[in-house]
Amino acid sequence: MYGGDEVSAIVIDLGCHTCKAGYAGEDAPKAVFPSVVGSIEQTEAINDVKSEKESEHISDSKSNLKGFDSEKAKIKRKLYVGTQALGFRRDHMEVISPFKDGVITDWDIVDNIWAHAFRERLIIDPKELPMLLSEPTSNAPQHRERMAELMFENYNVPALFVAKNAVLTSFASGRATSLVVDSGGGSTTVAPVHDGYVLQKGVATSPIGGEFLTECMAKSLESKGIILKPRYSFKRKEVRPGDFQVVDLVFPNTTESYKLYSQKVIASDIKESVCRAPDTPYDEKAYANIPMTSYELPDGQTIEIGADRFKVPDVLFNPSLVQTIPGMENFLDTASVRGLPQMVIESINKCDVDIRRELFNTILLSGGTASMQQLKERLEKDLIEESPQAARVKVLASGNSTERRFSVWIGGSILASLGSFQQMWFSKGEYEEHGASYIQRKCP
Amino acid sequence: MALLRSFSSASSGMGVADHCKGTFLNLQRKKAHRYVVFKIDEKRNEVIVEKTGGTAESFDDFMASLPENDCRYAIYDFDFVTEENCQKSKIFFIAWSPAVSRIRAKMLYATSKDRFRRELDGVHYEIQATDTSELDIEVLRERAH
Repeated sequence: MYGGDEVSAIVIDLGCHTCKAGYAGEDAPKAVFPSVVGSIEQTEAINDVKSEKESEHISDSKSNLKGFDSEKAKIKRKLYVGTQALGFRRDHMEVISPFKDGVITDWDIVDNIWAHAFRERLIIDPKELPMLLSEPTSNAPQHRERMAELMFENYNVPALFVAKNAVLTSFASGRATSLVVDSGGGSTTVAPVHDGYVLQKGVATSPIGGEFLTECMAKSLESKGIILKPRYSFKRKEVRPGDFQVVDLVFPNTTESYKLYSQKVIASDIKESVCRAPDTPYDEKAYANIPMTSYELPDGQTIEIGADRFKVPDVLFNPSLVQTIPGMENFLDTASVRGLPQMVIESINKCDVDIRRELFNTILLSGGTASMQQLKERLEKDLIEESPQAARVKVLASGNSTERRFSVWIGGSILASLGSFQQMWFSKGEYEEHGASYIQRKCP
Repeated sequence: MALLRSFSSASSGMGVADHCKGTFLNLQRKKAHRYVVFKIDEKRNEVIVEKTGGTAESFDDFMASLPENDCRYAIYDFDFVTEENCQKSKIFFIAWSPAVSRIRAKMLYATSKDRFRRELDGVHYEIQATDTSELDIEVLRERAH
């Protein structure tokens, strides 16, 4: 496979919160959409189940078979993938995620997400292009095999490669050795990478990611009496030019999960527009009188956000702070969850003495949550205070927030387009000859 | 390529031009150069020697030969005198990858580094540097002592 630069490939980074997909060689993903999907159980199927249940006692011999069928019918559902499909409210539509605690548990949803990316967003035929997928830093071997199976069997891809998030981030910054702090939607992972390999014993994770902070923001606003009205629940009419009237709309069949999802979209936008990591640990008294920042909600209501701007991001550094946010007290086992600086130090200390100096010197930030304002400066400051004297702490983050948010995807995009990479693909022929488990050897 | 190390042969990834090893040996054995700067020739898919520096050249000359916005590999022969008044020399391998260079270049150099580094037998220390503060004569001195 020479002239590697012309060989185009598809790169997909399916994160807990958003799925990033696009063409290799480009500097940003073409399609970015939520990793959660809307699901409506098919009503006809439910009726079928009922009628089968009624008829069960009639023919006993068939019941086994029917029992199996009804199992199948029960999970028959229609999935809605993508920002647009999710943005439209539908009766009885639940919002579900393929992930549970950062691990893929529902492969059917993943399948639908991939299909959406290929057919509706990138408009390509997966049979024609090699596919580079990113995977969580500590992905279980059976999950990568499952991925390979799905890709080769369902989509007939000609070749596949699976690379670890932390490794892609590290390479994209030009380093084969680094400590990658990936704070994404669903979780925060700290992973030491040495010569292009993740040192698994040093990997630390915490459930505090963007979504957790969004929830803190939403709960905190709620406790102050601010109601986030989902976009579908009202209509804004212009009565006179410049004068708007909000009319509430009632949809009794909206599911709770959809309502929460819609509110989270708003809370997340509030978080992204106003939050900033405080320079020093958050202190209730010191921040009591800070100036308020205003934010206009979709229904036209303007809210004022004060201390929460700093308090919410500080949860990353000091998880026990959640106990002071009403409604979030029991969300975390604060005894076991560490703050970001502690995670970094613990992770480095688990690595070989010889490379610790270099890790302290190359701490890379990646992921959406890590793009928060002042987060880099704060982390560097905390680490300098807490690390051993001899260590020269250096936290690096690319200046550009797109690069930071999509560092994993960008890493994959460039890797897949390098001429020297082309012989590394796990080809369909190899899959057919050696089976899915061969991926463990092809993609270390 | 680092990712491929576990099962690959020398034919994989980026190639290394023959004269690279020769130039390195001249620096190591004959002390013919103070430093050598290598670059990746993407068209030929191999690492080539871009520049060599004479023994009389200083560390500043070496720094000046590294581009500000592109990546390089480099070898620097660091001579120093120990506390016991003993003449010593240590060879440094430097992966130069400035933050402002194109991601594609950073990626290319990072993924090919391991394979190239293994071609050069006898390097004492390795430094990854993204700006001049990380690549200072003091940093070298600190590592060598």
